[in-house]
Amino acid sequence: MALDATLAGAYPKIGDTTEEQKLRRSLHQFDKGELSEEALEQIKDEAAQDVIQQQMEAGLDILTDGLIRWDDALTYIARGISGFEMAGLIRYFDTNTFYRQPVVESRLEFIKPCLVQDFQFAQEKSSKPVKAVITGPYTIAKLSRNHFYREFKQLAFDLAHIIHKEAQALEEAGCRYLQFDEPAILNHKQDLSLFLKVYEIVTAQLAKAEKTLQLNFGTLEGLYPKIFEVNVERIGIELIKGHPNWQVLKSAPFTKKLMAGIVNARNTKMESEAELNQIVHDLGEHVNVEQLWLSTSHSLEFLPRSNARKKIELLATTAKQLRGASVS
Amino acid sequence: MLLPTTTVGSFPKPDYLAKARFQFSKGQISKTELEELERKATREWIEFQEEIGIDILVDGEMYRGDMVTYFAENFKGFEISGLVRSYGNRYYRKPVAVGEIERANPVTVEWFKFAQSLTQKPVKGMLTGPYTIMDWSFDEHYSSRRDFCLRLAEVVCEEAKDLEAAGAQYIQIDEPAISVRPEELDLAIEAMGIATQGLKAHTLTHICYGDFPKIYPKMLEIPVDQIDLELSNNEFDLLGLFKKAPFTKEIGLGVLDVHSHRVETQSEVISRIEKALKIIPKEKIYVSPDCGLKTRGMEETKAKLRVMVAAVKEVRESL
Ligand SMILES: [Zn+2]
Repeated sequence: MALDATLAGAYPKIGDTTEEQKLRRSLHQFDKGELSEEALEQIKDEAAQDVIQQQMEAGLDILTDGLIRWDDALTYIARGISGFEMAGLIRYFDTNTFYRQPVVESRLEFIKPCLVQDFQFAQEKSSKPVKAVITGPYTIAKLSRNHFYREFKQLAFDLAHIIHKEAQALEEAGCRYLQFDEPAILNHKQDLSLFLKVYEIVTAQLAKAEKTLQLNFGTLEGLYPKIFEVNVERIGIELIKGHPNWQVLKSAPFTKKLMAGIVNARNTKMESEAELNQIVHDLGEHVNVEQLWLSTSHSLEFLPRSNARKKIELLATTAKQLRGASVS
Repeated sequence: MLLPTTTVGSFPKPDYLAKARFQFSKGQISKTELEELERKATREWIEFQEEIGIDILVDGEMYRGDMVTYFAENFKGFEISGLVRSYGNRYYRKPVAVGEIERANPVTVEWFKFAQSLTQKPVKGMLTGPYTIMDWSFDEHYSSRRDFCLRLAEVVCEEAKDLEAAGAQYIQIDEPAISVRPEELDLAIEAMGIATQGLKAHTLTHICYGDFPKIYPKMLEIPVDQIDLELSNNEFDLLGLFKKAPFTKEIGLGVLDVHSHRVETQSEVISRIEKALKIIPKEKIYVSPDCGLKTRGMEETKAKLRVMVAAVKEVRESL
């Protein structure tokens, strides 16, 4: 175990050069019926491979598949669950991006794993471990519209069982890092007990993979430190300079491993290496830096690709230097 | 006159202009050639608004792309970013503040004068608000969102004053982003105070796509005479809010759903106006579409606006 650099989830699907926009052009051709589904899949594979290559070149220690196939945080998973139908576009938290809202029309049921193939593809192309990113059941439940369940908690529990199966399949496929994204709990802190029960279901008997709970788009205030009762090994939070989470950290010891979102994925302004070193130094007061993950505050899709690339390079360099420093 | 009709600002660009903008971006036609077509399209939209009897006109924004990027391209201190995804296969470029924001020259004033010269009816001066420009941009220069936003407010105010001096009786400063972060509503209000400071013209703001229950009634503190709201998109649910706390300003009543291809029927629009009349004094109601119409087709837009004006006429007769 050492201090590692990773990213919070998605990587920008396209860049600004003609070559890097092949996926965009192909999707456009596919929409017009000028490209077959197989040809499009091939291009998605190429894009995913390119994104993995970029992460390796940047020097990250734990990669993701870039979530190249995801349109948004909800639909890619929801389309693979029976009982959902997709409705209109809704703003995703306070961003200028949108998601298509899943609507629960009948009892939700697991069909088959929807992330395993992407994981296997990514892991095959990567010399570094690949972390699987899964939108958590609580957030899926909260951001969907419920036309079927009498109570929200029934919806959340059914989704918990479904996501559990997905996680289990990923673990069986060899995935050693599972990340559950649960931004919605930060807006509904009164639901914490329900949330903890949901995670008992999600994580039951998952013993091989290290599980991370990613909590961004807000602060841990009001959840802290009770959130540590959740059955995961690591918690990811936003910790860019000046973020209110810094205050929260002072209120109680951080008793799990930390994935620290220290690079701002929502602004192009570059952090300096000195700034990041200071942040890690400050984190040393709260957590064991040897087990720390340095990450981006959010998915990198809020940035143009060229800026995203610079940000992950900076993270990787920072982690590498800090590792070197602790050895000497 | 009761229930003056107006629109939120943008209209679809005719095919010849869309083509010309593409050619201009590839360097195939000159700026002068493009502007000639932008003026032609503006003239056509002014004629259309006159013809169907809209009361307060807009220039239709034939010369603008994105409502934030347009201003960023014309203010000093901004650069434009690489592509960022909004949804699906749709990407856009965001402004990046890289230095102190300044207005070297008036941005929209010549277009305002041109449009106003074509009609006796008032044409609105149309600006994007400081909070929205800040929220939709990256910032590599200012030390806080607040500093960035308040600087933009000063710059927007300079533009608004020039529009007023050029004869604008109505100045609309759009803040669609205002409803996304209720915790920053105070900042948005403060910024609008700076942007509208000293203006004698009638001031309006347009807000959309948001969680209004979270910012109402506080949003009534935005220092403008009129707030224009998207109401049809959620079938006038918002009116319920106004029963709890009265809407104290003039309202721009959105009666056309701009996200739908379907053209509303006259009776639908009438019933929307009548719902509002039960809650808001008739002297305070202006009637408009929910939002800008630039994403709708040409014929859809025209058909929707015709229905709106006809519906208002019918309601007026009953008042
Ligand atoms: Zn709008």
